[in-house]
Amino acid sequence: MIIEVEELTRHYGNVKALDGVSFGVEEGEVFGLLGPNGAGKTTLMEILCGLRRFDSGRVNVRGFDLVKDSYKVRGSIGFCPQETLLYDLLSVRENLAFSASLYSMSRKKFRDRVDFSSKVLGVGEFLNRRVGHLSGGMKRRANLAASIIHDPPIVILDEPTVGFDPTIKREFWELIKSLKDSGKTVLLSTHDMYEADEICDRVAIMEKGKIAALDKPRVLKETIGGEPAIHVRVKDTQTKKALAILKEYGGALFGDEIQISATKPLEIMTEVSNKLSSQGVLTEKIEVVEPTLEDVFIKLSGRKLTEETA
Amino acid sequence: MNSIIGIAVKDIKTFFRERGTIFWTIAFPVLIMLLFTAIFGRDIPFSANIGVVDNDHSPLSASIITGLNNTNGIFTVKNFTDKIEALKELNASSVRAVITIPKNFTLNLTMTMPAHVMMAIDETNPDVARLVRDGVTTFLTEYYKGYYHTAYNATYLEPVFVTEEQAIVHEKIGYKENIVPGMLTYPLLFSSMVVATGAIVFEREKGTLKKIRASPTRPLNVLFGKTLAALFQTAISIFIMGVLAAVLLGPKLNWNVPLLLPIFFLGSINGIAIGLIISCVGRAPQEASNAATTMAIVLQFFTGMYFPIDYLPTYLQQIGRFIPMTYAAQALRDIMIRNATITDLLAPITTLSVTAVVLYAVGVLLYRRWVEK
Repeated sequence: MIIEVEELTRHYGNVKALDGVSFGVEEGEVFGLLGPNGAGKTTLMEILCGLRRFDSGRVNVRGFDLVKDSYKVRGSIGFCPQETLLYDLLSVRENLAFSASLYSMSRKKFRDRVDFSSKVLGVGEFLNRRVGHLSGGMKRRANLAASIIHDPPIVILDEPTVGFDPTIKREFWELIKSLKDSGKTVLLSTHDMYEADEICDRVAIMEKGKIAALDKPRVLKETIGGEPAIHVRVKDTQTKKALAILKEYGGALFGDEIQISATKPLEIMTEVSNKLSSQGVLTEKIEVVEPTLEDVFIKLSGRKLTEETA
Repeated sequence: MNSIIGIAVKDIKTFFRERGTIFWTIAFPVLIMLLFTAIFGRDIPFSANIGVVDNDHSPLSASIITGLNNTNGIFTVKNFTDKIEALKELNASSVRAVITIPKNFTLNLTMTMPAHVMMAIDETNPDVARLVRDGVTTFLTEYYKGYYHTAYNATYLEPVFVTEEQAIVHEKIGYKENIVPGMLTYPLLFSSMVVATGAIVFEREKGTLKKIRASPTRPLNVLFGKTLAALFQTAISIFIMGVLAAVLLGPKLNWNVPLLLPIFFLGSINGIAIGLIISCVGRAPQEASNAATTMAIVLQFFTGMYFPIDYLPTYLQQIGRFIPMTYAAQALRDIMIRNATITDLLAPITTLSVTAVVLYAVGVLLYRRWVEK
């Protein structure tokens, strides 16, 4: 394990922000912390980066104890927070140079890393432009480049795509995948279940300062998210009739759709469709829906991911 | 690149790119110097009441009194017959000096005997005392020669001795000469203190301090980097102010750069250290920024920049003595006006060094505590 966290606890006054959190991150994987706002993700990440203290527990990064070897741990991590931490009046190159100076990098290594950032993160086209003149997407790429300029083995990204439009979000996911391909271990926090599903090798679902579940997204969905479901929508006037017909399959009405849970949905989907049409019910839509990480979270917490923690 | 240099270079580059900051860095000393040139760029009419006790009652002593009264308003003579009464008025600062012309003064002069005039000076205002001493001494040692030359065609007379306890300053010190070292203290308080506070506050406000703290850069390196940048900006202010002062006011001062530099350096470090302390004590960035500006504005009156701290009531003078810039201002005056040597400056340099170390250490501790919080 490149990161080991054991029984980590942190209070803010009477509020338990982290309540005995334990997990490990394998070298070279993309590890996601999924949870709503207030679940403790940012606190956990800031502790790992040495920005916050913790009350009890133990953190080990690359064999270094976070408390005893704090500065060695910091040198192993590239932290990219939600906000863009660049100086608007300096060019991207100057910002990168400043970040490099914080890690006492040699000029040669700096030049190599600027080349890497230009090629992999695509900052080359605006390297000499002042940050204040860049678009939001460019700033975020430059921010990531500055965070990993020292070539850290571990990259920690706090809500890396929050506020992005879908296109830029996808671009950023590709960047994160390319980091993994270049051998980095990535730990990211998100409250976007699609993001966690798309790019994370493993996901820890956080709720009220605890890890409620941890595994590969597919396993979480299979074991906690429940069975796949057939979603059927018919004409408004025929909904009652359709519901009566599908009762034998366990159909239940959710909104304007009838949902049927099934272990092997594809096998019964044709049967359901035929039965409805034979009795004169016209189907507008019939599809198999796999459980999502949102379903996993709902099963675990009884609420949606987008709801704030009380 | 080393993190200290990296932080300093980043701050200096940011400073040069911030047009408003550049403008005010230049405009501030220009405005201050223009203002002070307008106020003090001319000779200030000086006047003082002088008490005279004439025990000689000779035509020469009467002529001396008349002559003192005819100094284009510089001195106004008040005659006393009783020396005790005259000294009472001196104690009350109604007269700035009491001159006693002793009996047989004229006789001694003409009989080639030493002729002494006694002078007691009100020392509550050192600058006024200096001017009075200088003026009266010059007058007494020169005036009677002209009188005798005209009256008796005398070509040689015994010199007049003005007897006084304090050493006599022979060089006239104008207000221009007095104010310039004070003005050069200004950047030590304003630029260094406000810049240092701003440097930390800016990082806090912008959130970039998080980036620095997440790196292996130690707090001390961060502060050293910030200090280097603040020193650079203070040096620019001092340079602009010094050039403007020399050009606009043209004071007759001793610009002993090797001696001035350590005072500027130590004064700046003190200012920067106070700035660091304020930036860590203020809970909100804006609060710290306002506190630094307010403190700089208030403290300037206690440091003897514009006027000697002796002008202040005693209890306020005590406050001035606790501010390092007071010693910087005094040291600058000593170098530039009184041609002080390194030996003369040992006391202020020691004081400034000790306060710089203590204040900087407090700043570092507070910053570390704040970071760890």
